[in-house]
Amino acid sequence: MKNQIYNYKSKVVPTWCPGCPNFLLLTGLQQAFAKLKIPNHNIVVVSDIGCAGNISNFLNTYRIHSLHGRAIPTAIGVKLANPKLTVVVVVGDGGAYGEGLNHLITAVRANYDIKVFVANNHLYSLTTGQASPTTKTGTKTKSTPFGYALKPIDPVPLIKSVNSSILVENVDSKNSPKLFKKITKILNHQGFALLDISQICISFGKSL
Amino acid sequence: MLKSNKMIKEDFSIKLAGPAGMGIKSGGQLFSKFFQSLGFYFHDYTEYPSLVRGGHNTYQATYGYQKVHAPHQKIDYFFSLKPGHCRQHQNEFHPNTLVFSDKKNPVSKGKFINLPLSQLSSQAGNPLSANIICFGIIAFLLNQDKSQATSLISKVFSKNTKTNLIAFDIGYIYAQQNLKQYQQTLKIPKQANQAKAQSSAGGRLTSFNDGNQAFAYGFLQGKGNFYAAYPMTPSSGTLHFLASRAKDYNITVVHPEDEIATASLAVGAAFAGARSAVGTSGGGFALMNETVSFCGMSEIGMLYYLVSRPGPATGMPTWTSQSDLLYAIFSGHGEFPKVVIAPGDQQESFDFANIGLNLADQLQTPIIVLSDKFIAESSASTTDLSKEKVIVNRGKILNSVTKNFKRYNWITRSGVSPRCLPGTTNGQFLANSSEHNQFGFSSDDSIVAVKMQQKRAKKLKTAKILAPKPRLFGNKQADSLIISWGSNKGIILEALKKLDNFAFLQIRTLWPLHDSIKKTIKKYKKTIIIENSQTSRLGFLLKSLFSFSPTATILKFNGRPFFPEELIKKLK
Repeated sequence: MKNQIYNYKSKVVPTWCPGCPNFLLLTGLQQAFAKLKIPNHNIVVVSDIGCAGNISNFLNTYRIHSLHGRAIPTAIGVKLANPKLTVVVVVGDGGAYGEGLNHLITAVRANYDIKVFVANNHLYSLTTGQASPTTKTGTKTKSTPFGYALKPIDPVPLIKSVNSSILVENVDSKNSPKLFKKITKILNHQGFALLDISQICISFGKSL
Repeated sequence: MLKSNKMIKEDFSIKLAGPAGMGIKSGGQLFSKFFQSLGFYFHDYTEYPSLVRGGHNTYQATYGYQKVHAPHQKIDYFFSLKPGHCRQHQNEFHPNTLVFSDKKNPVSKGKFINLPLSQLSSQAGNPLSANIICFGIIAFLLNQDKSQATSLISKVFSKNTKTNLIAFDIGYIYAQQNLKQYQQTLKIPKQANQAKAQSSAGGRLTSFNDGNQAFAYGFLQGKGNFYAAYPMTPSSGTLHFLASRAKDYNITVVHPEDEIATASLAVGAAFAGARSAVGTSGGGFALMNETVSFCGMSEIGMLYYLVSRPGPATGMPTWTSQSDLLYAIFSGHGEFPKVVIAPGDQQESFDFANIGLNLADQLQTPIIVLSDKFIAESSASTTDLSKEKVIVNRGKILNSVTKNFKRYNWITRSGVSPRCLPGTTNGQFLANSSEHNQFGFSSDDSIVAVKMQQKRAKKLKTAKILAPKPRLFGNKQADSLIISWGSNKGIILEALKKLDNFAFLQIRTLWPLHDSIKKTIKKYKKTIIIENSQTSRLGFLLKSLFSFSPTATILKFNGRPFFPEELIKKLK
C-alpha cells in the first residue's frame, strides 16, 4: 500500500502545457519509485528551474527546487550529508549542459551516487523559446533570429569521454515504454547515472 | 619596549625579513613557540606578497608578560635573513633596535650589527638554515637555556632535526663569541611553571592558533560536520586544517570545482541535516551570493566564513581590509533576514564558528562570520581550543511529524518554523527557491507572498536577541568613545594599555545592529570610528540607521592593519 504510485504524487495539479512530455517523466519516476519500493521519505528530488524544474511541486518526496544550473551540486551536498537517501536530479538542457555544465562534468568525474534526468527539449521553454546548448546549428529562435551559430552539445559522448565507467543513456520520450524502463535502470544503478531524455516542446518547439 | 640594555620591561618585539622560501614564517613561529613555552603571551603578524619564491616576506611578533592583543610596530630585534631586507623597515626601529644583517647596509636608525648569515649557513651545510641560526642567536642574547630551545627544535622539525640542531648551535656559538655585549637576562614570567601545569586544563592562554585554525576548532567543537571551500587567500588555512582532520572527526570536507558549487553543496548538506559551512574571501563570496539569497528564501540555515582582503576584484590577495562589511550585509538579491557577526580576535573566531552554526540552525537563514586576513593569518595565545567546550544548539528539528506537514508554518512569533530532516516519515516538503505557501509549494498569490515575507522578516528581531551583543571596554566613565569592529579590537585594546581616557565599543553583530548601540553612543561627548577601509563602512551604517555622525574617523586602507603606536599617536 505504502509504495503505490499515488504515494509519490503531491496535491498540486501539474502546470505544464497539456501534452507536454514532462508528464511522462513525472509518471515514469513515480512508477519507478513504486516499483523499486523506495519509501517517499527517503527520496530527495532536487530540481533545477524552468518547466522541468517545476516537477518538484508535483511529487510527494522531499524536494529542493534549487537555482538555475545548481541542481547537481545541491544534490551532491544532500547525498554527502546523508548517503542513505536516494537523491534524484531533474534538470533541463539549459541547466545541465549550459549554466551547470561545469558541475555536471565534476559530478561525472567524482562518480557521486546521484541520478540525473535531463528533460532535453533543445530549447529554453519557460522563458518562451530561446536557443539552448542542444539546439541544432542554424535554428532560428527568439534569441537567434538569424540562426543559432554554435555547435550543439552531444551529451552522451561528452560524458563518456570524461568518465567511461559512468552510466549515461539517451532515450526519446516518444517511446514511453522504453523511457519507463530506462528510468528504473538509472535509479537502480550504483553511482552516478544520467538519462538524457529527448523531448519536443509542444508550445515553442514545433519548428525544431 | 626596550629602553635600556639591562632588562626588558613589559614586552619585546622580534621581526624576521627576507625572500619567500627562506622559512620566514616557520622560523618566526619557532621563536613564538619558544617564548610561549616560557610563559609569554604573544601576537604575531606576517606580511607576504602573492608569490612562491623571492619577494619580501616578514614575520613579526610581540611577546609580553600580560596578554598581547596586537603586534607592535616598533621592533627590538630585527633579522634580515638575506641582505637588502632591512632598509624598508627603518621606521620600525628605535635607537636601541638591534638590526642584524649580512653586509653593512646604511641604516640610519637602530644599532646595525653585521651578521655573516650566508657564511654561517654554508657552515651549517644548509643555505636555508638562516632562520634557525637567528634562533640560536636570540636564545643566547636573551640568556636562555639551550636544552629547552633544542628540545623544541626536535619537536617542531621532526624530519631535519639534526641539520637544524647544527644550525642552532652555530648561531648560539657565534653570538657567544661576538655579541656578548648585547646579551641580557630575560625575566621568565612567574606564571610560566603554573601555565605549563595548567596547559592541559585549558584555563590559561597557552595554545598557538591563528584565526583560521581557531575558526576550524570552533567548527569542530560546535559539531560542524560539512565544510566546503574553494581555495582563496586568506581563508584557505581553515580548509587545509579541516581537511587534515576530516577523518579523525568523521566529517565531510570538500573542495569543489568553483565557489558556486561549493556553496550549493553546503546548501544541500544543510537541508539534509548537516551543520554546514563554506569558507571564502570577497571574490569567492561574490560567486556564492545566489545561494545567500536562496537560503533566505528556502529558510535553509548555513554559515559563510568570509575572510576579507582588499578589493575590488583580485585586489591585494595577501593583505588585510574591512571594506567588505556592507557587501556582506547586503549580499543576495531580494529582501530576507541575515546575520553578520565579526570576531575581534582568534578566540572570538573560535567562539563565532559555533555561534554562527547555532544561529544558522536557530534562525534557518544565512549567517556570515566576517573575519579578515589580519585575524585569520595571525597567531596569538589562546586557550587550548581543541578541548574547549561549547554549547551546541540545533534549533527546532522535529523527529516525527503528521501528514501534510506545514514546513513553513507562518503562525510563529520568532519567524522560525520547526523543520524536519529528509528521512523523517510523513515530512516530505519542498524547499523552494520560488515564493511558496506553508507547505513549500510554489505560489504567487498576493496574500501568501506578503505573509511569507513578513514571517521571514520576523527572524531579524529574533536575531537581535540571539546574536552576540556589543561589548564595552576601557574607561567607561571617559568622555570619548572609540567605535569599531572586527580585527581592530586587539589593536585598540593594545593601544588602550597606554590611554586611560577612552571607552571602546566593539560591535560584534554588524547586522542586525543591536538597539543598545544607539544608547551607548549617545552617552559620550566625543566619538571616534576606527576602520580598516577607505570610506568607513560602519560609519555609513550608523549614519543611515541611527542618523549618527562621529566626531572623528580614523581610517587606514593600504592593506596593512593598524598598529597600536599609530592609534596612540592619532588618539592623543
